[in-house]
Amino acid sequence: MSRCVIEASDLTKLYGNFKALDAVSFSVEKGWIYGYLGPNGAGKTTTIRTMLGLLRPNEGEMQIDEINPVKDPVGALQVVGYAPELPNLQAFFSGEQLLDFAGKMFGLSDQARTERVKQLLDLVDLNEAGKRKVGNYSKGMVQRLSVALALISDPEVLIMDEPTIGMDPEATAHFRDLFVSLSKQGKTVFISSHLLDEVQRTCTHVGMINRGKIVFSGPIEQVLGAFTQRWVVEVELEKASSEIITVLRGLDYVQNVEIEGNKLLIGLKEKKDLRGEISSEIFRYQGVLLSLNLRRITLEDAYLLALKGGRPP
Amino acid sequence: MNTFQRIFNLVAYEWRRSLAKKKIYVLIALALALQIGIFALFNFFFTSPTQGPNITGPFLEGVKGTMWLLGVLGPQGLFIPLIAIIVAGGSMSEEYEHGTADILLSKPITRVEYLAGKYLGGLSLIGFVIVLITILGTVLARGFFGPQESLQIIPAVYMALVYANLLFFSLAFMLSEALRRTTLAYLVSIGIFIASMIVGGYLSILYAMTREQFYLDISRWLPNWSASNFPSFVVSELMTVQNSPFISVVSGDVRLAAAIIAVYSVVSVLVATVRLVKSDITKRGD
Repeated sequence: MSRCVIEASDLTKLYGNFKALDAVSFSVEKGWIYGYLGPNGAGKTTTIRTMLGLLRPNEGEMQIDEINPVKDPVGALQVVGYAPELPNLQAFFSGEQLLDFAGKMFGLSDQARTERVKQLLDLVDLNEAGKRKVGNYSKGMVQRLSVALALISDPEVLIMDEPTIGMDPEATAHFRDLFVSLSKQGKTVFISSHLLDEVQRTCTHVGMINRGKIVFSGPIEQVLGAFTQRWVVEVELEKASSEIITVLRGLDYVQNVEIEGNKLLIGLKEKKDLRGEISSEIFRYQGVLLSLNLRRITLEDAYLLALKGGRPP
Repeated sequence: MNTFQRIFNLVAYEWRRSLAKKKIYVLIALALALQIGIFALFNFFFTSPTQGPNITGPFLEGVKGTMWLLGVLGPQGLFIPLIAIIVAGGSMSEEYEHGTADILLSKPITRVEYLAGKYLGGLSLIGFVIVLITILGTVLARGFFGPQESLQIIPAVYMALVYANLLFFSLAFMLSEALRRTTLAYLVSIGIFIASMIVGGYLSILYAMTREQFYLDISRWLPNWSASNFPSFVVSELMTVQNSPFISVVSGDVRLAAAIIAVYSVVSVLVATVRLVKSDITKRGD
């Protein structure tokens, strides 16, 4: 039977008059890899910091493994590993010492720490740099060490804020595989990311937040399926004039129009092949059509549609 | 793992963090250099009296058995409080500024344990610095001026020094948490230290001129008076040798100074605790 390990209920967080989180609710079950998406300033990091008890919500409640991290941080955070976005780790420690210190904070025995530190340095490919001061690490090395730090206690819940920023493609792929293998072991992974392709390849579920509000939360197939109901037509024009864009946006069957240079992504309201109608409209306004295709929906399309159009049906 | 183990981990962490700062070593070196310099100066006058009436020779002859007190209490006037301010003033704020507070407080630890670990870590480091100064002062006094007297009171003097430094340590610690800006915490702490010295001086002059008890009372409640004088007061109560010129004896001062230190320290720690427990953990630049 599935068990809910992260639960946000009507979380609201105010910074002065600014509502950073507006009645945010979602739940993450054991074994999921949950991708948390949203544009800059949407409230992703605020959600994560509330999850860890670093921020206190003005309203609502967060629970990790049924424990409120604000009321009982020791109980809630015992099962959590956290890697912050662009971490500034303690520069005066060596990588090995920092991992050892983190192990102590979780109450690992001397022997367990020694073994775990060695194992993790190996996992994140920092064996040779283990004795070097963290202050001398590159950005990518700090990021890898941060993931190792999050894993020190072999946590049940892994919370990662943009975990692969600054990593090279090889390391990114390595960590993607790592998250999948952790999920297979029954661990829960919560990833906040801008890399939609990575989320699509890694995550089982996604949550989308925009301006502090959750616009979607559910299985990744569901979000893709929901938007597949509204086909997307990709149009390439010699010149995407503002007149044509305005006309297309005004059509009854068009949900929205995204512009990428001279390419237009036209989201349709229904699952109908309306390429003929669209091309007629373009010709009517003297547009020169270079290509026109029905496009397979990606998470990026779904994400952009969700942010523009609100919750999918 | 229990509360004490979690606090102990933070104490060890705080030592490492503080000892990674070069300015701490500079201040410790200056404090030790001051001891050596003062002893060398006294020794010069003692062994090489100037031409004419020999004043310094007989004076030093009378006090050379208690010269260790000069070495031990001397740095309390400036260097030890400054070291305490540097250690405590960055203790909490640097974690916010560097973004490392998130790393620490996302581990299974309560905020009170975190604060206790940081506070006790910094304070024990100051205690260690005072051990160094006490040992060096005593050894130098023995080397320069021969056998020393009343050495049995060293533990009490040591405790008095640690207790006296609670005041500026706690004040800087509170400012570090309350302001969450290291430079600002240093500036305000050092500002209070210097301002209370200056104002205390003026108030003493006013008292001498008017004999109004009010001025004296106010000057005593300034933080510098108790922090600077408490160890001397303790020594004066304990010493069998009463002719030391380094000690000023005023009846009742010990209790008053101890109470003032306690009030400042307890209030500071309470303010820091409330600030940490009741507010969000801010990030860099927040």
